[in-house]
Amino acid sequence: MNEPELTVQKSLTEPASRINQNAIKAWRLSALLFGSFVYVIPGLLYLIFTLDGDMSMLYPIISAPSAVIIHCFFIFVLPKIRWKRWKYEVDDKGIDMQRGIIITKRTMVPINRIQHVDTRQGPIYRKYGLSSISLSTAATTHEIPALDENTASELREIISDLVRKVKEDV
Amino acid sequence: MSEFRRQHPIAAVTQLFVVIRQNIVPFIIFVVLGSRNSGEYFWLIVLLGIIVTFVLGVVGWFRFTFRVREDELQINKGIFVRKKLYLSKDRIQVIDITEGLIQRMFGLVKVEIKTAGGGTEKATISAITRSDAVQLRTLLREKEVQRPAESESLTEISGELENTVVSNESNKIWVLSNRDLFYAALTSGNFGVIASILGALSGQLDQFITEENMDYIFGLLPGFSQLTVILWSILFILLISYLLSFIGVILRYGDFKIEKKEKELQITSGLLERKQLTVPFDRVQAFRFVEGVLRQPFGYGMLYVESAGFEQKENDRSIVVLPFVKRAKLSSFLEEFMDEAPDESTCIVPPKRSLFRYIRQPNYLLLIVIPVLWIFFDWAWMLSALVIPFSLFGWLEYKDAKIEVAENTVLMQFRNLARTTAIVKINRAQVSEISMNPFQRRKHLATVSITAASGAGGKSFTVDDLDANDAERLLKWPIARAS
Repeated sequence: MNEPELTVQKSLTEPASRINQNAIKAWRLSALLFGSFVYVIPGLLYLIFTLDGDMSMLYPIISAPSAVIIHCFFIFVLPKIRWKRWKYEVDDKGIDMQRGIIITKRTMVPINRIQHVDTRQGPIYRKYGLSSISLSTAATTHEIPALDENTASELREIISDLVRKVKEDV
Repeated sequence: MSEFRRQHPIAAVTQLFVVIRQNIVPFIIFVVLGSRNSGEYFWLIVLLGIIVTFVLGVVGWFRFTFRVREDELQINKGIFVRKKLYLSKDRIQVIDITEGLIQRMFGLVKVEIKTAGGGTEKATISAITRSDAVQLRTLLREKEVQRPAESESLTEISGELENTVVSNESNKIWVLSNRDLFYAALTSGNFGVIASILGALSGQLDQFITEENMDYIFGLLPGFSQLTVILWSILFILLISYLLSFIGVILRYGDFKIEKKEKELQITSGLLERKQLTVPFDRVQAFRFVEGVLRQPFGYGMLYVESAGFEQKENDRSIVVLPFVKRAKLSSFLEEFMDEAPDESTCIVPPKRSLFRYIRQPNYLLLIVIPVLWIFFDWAWMLSALVIPFSLFGWLEYKDAKIEVAENTVLMQFRNLARTTAIVKINRAQVSEISMNPFQRRKHLATVSITAASGAGGKSFTVDDLDANDAERLLKWPIARAS
């Protein structure tokens, strides 16, 4: 670890903007709803237990609280970390996105590669006045989640304006 | 060609032949192996299928009419759902004339007309005479040349002019020599695909591998234990798949020819079925040079072009431009045929501190596989000797990983098993991405990937464990180059 090249390391830059803080609430709500699948396993185990007397009661007893713990983790911990890690930046050259809880990913899409921009809003996002933006290139699609509605539609306008200005073929 | 007309009647039958050819292998397998519960019904179904396909083919032929009128190719087709497909001339990107096996017997050709864009419209006229096809092509190409005069934007005109200048000096041709074709076939070693087909086949063999049969075989072959029989059959399967792969390459790339035209590259190849492919230069996204395990020691590889738009199917997205070429000749080819002048470039390689990561990465596989195998086989621990070749492989991966950044292109070299060298045109890079896992973060390393458009999707090229600051520079590079 004492190679000389380590000394010249600069810390990496980061995109400037954060997504809306309401994202945490929205993600919590959706984790509350969609995270309930964690109860399937203890449920099944309990079912097997009641049908088949051979199995020990131990399995459902252990798995039920761990399902609760996992669900709580999905609801209370994960959305907050996810929000903290999500950063983005839009300028006249490109869109810069950084996210990821364990593995950090940073993606850059040059503005002249963007083919179209959408904003999307599901029922949960609508409740919190949020909206997500998705960017499509000829190869891939990217999404910036949970911006507040106004920022999202503003951004959509800005990006599609920029795209129109610099558009080349493919 | 201004009146609606039909294709050559052979078009009615080609569909039938295509269906038969696609199903010939499962059919043979079924007939040979599945004789137990087939019987009369089976043949009845086959006959019915043939009749239905034939009738559909005839009706389809009858309904299919086409003409060229007022800058448009107009096609009416459809049996149940009538379809009118009108392609305007200036949207047409590529016109391919192909001689299929059946068409060849009757001196006919197939014409494929492709337009670019997300939706990717493709019109296929499956059988007309060659002279008609050529006439059709000139008709559809005709006005395009005159167009710049009435064109709306100035930039387009200057683009056209540049292209005509280039065209004056060249109509270059590149041909794959028979010797190279032979070597290409020898080293193709496309085992994976074929072995998997044979693997699926061997599922059918289950009914033969019974206790009695095995005893009979062991009785016939003295000195053969179960293990040697298994080893021999593996060897046999490998040999067969090698042979098939050999023949496949000869048939596919026999008589391979590239011709450089004004705005496009025309590739013609195939012994039984002459296929023609057109690669317009302005749709080229990236080049990919793959040096297979058997080819790399001799310094040879295969060159692909990733081009945007045309094909939806995964297999057809990358176009083979050179089936067999020396690495050293690559840059001169790109310069001559693709107008890609080599640029001065800066080279970025993974730092020394990532060597250990490269070396241990392939070994993770052993970490999982050996304990699992150990449950079933006592000798599985001996596989741990594989650590040595695996580590060596990791070291090779480390040696081969590099990125070269030039004015207009980025070259990314990495090894999976074969060594791949990808050259992405920078103004064609769709997305760049870096990712860091916690271990990489601790060592200040990052993985870089750049995605180019290919077909209707994308193709990503990834180099592992570069210095994080280098990685960040690469990440921002396509953006910095964006006008």
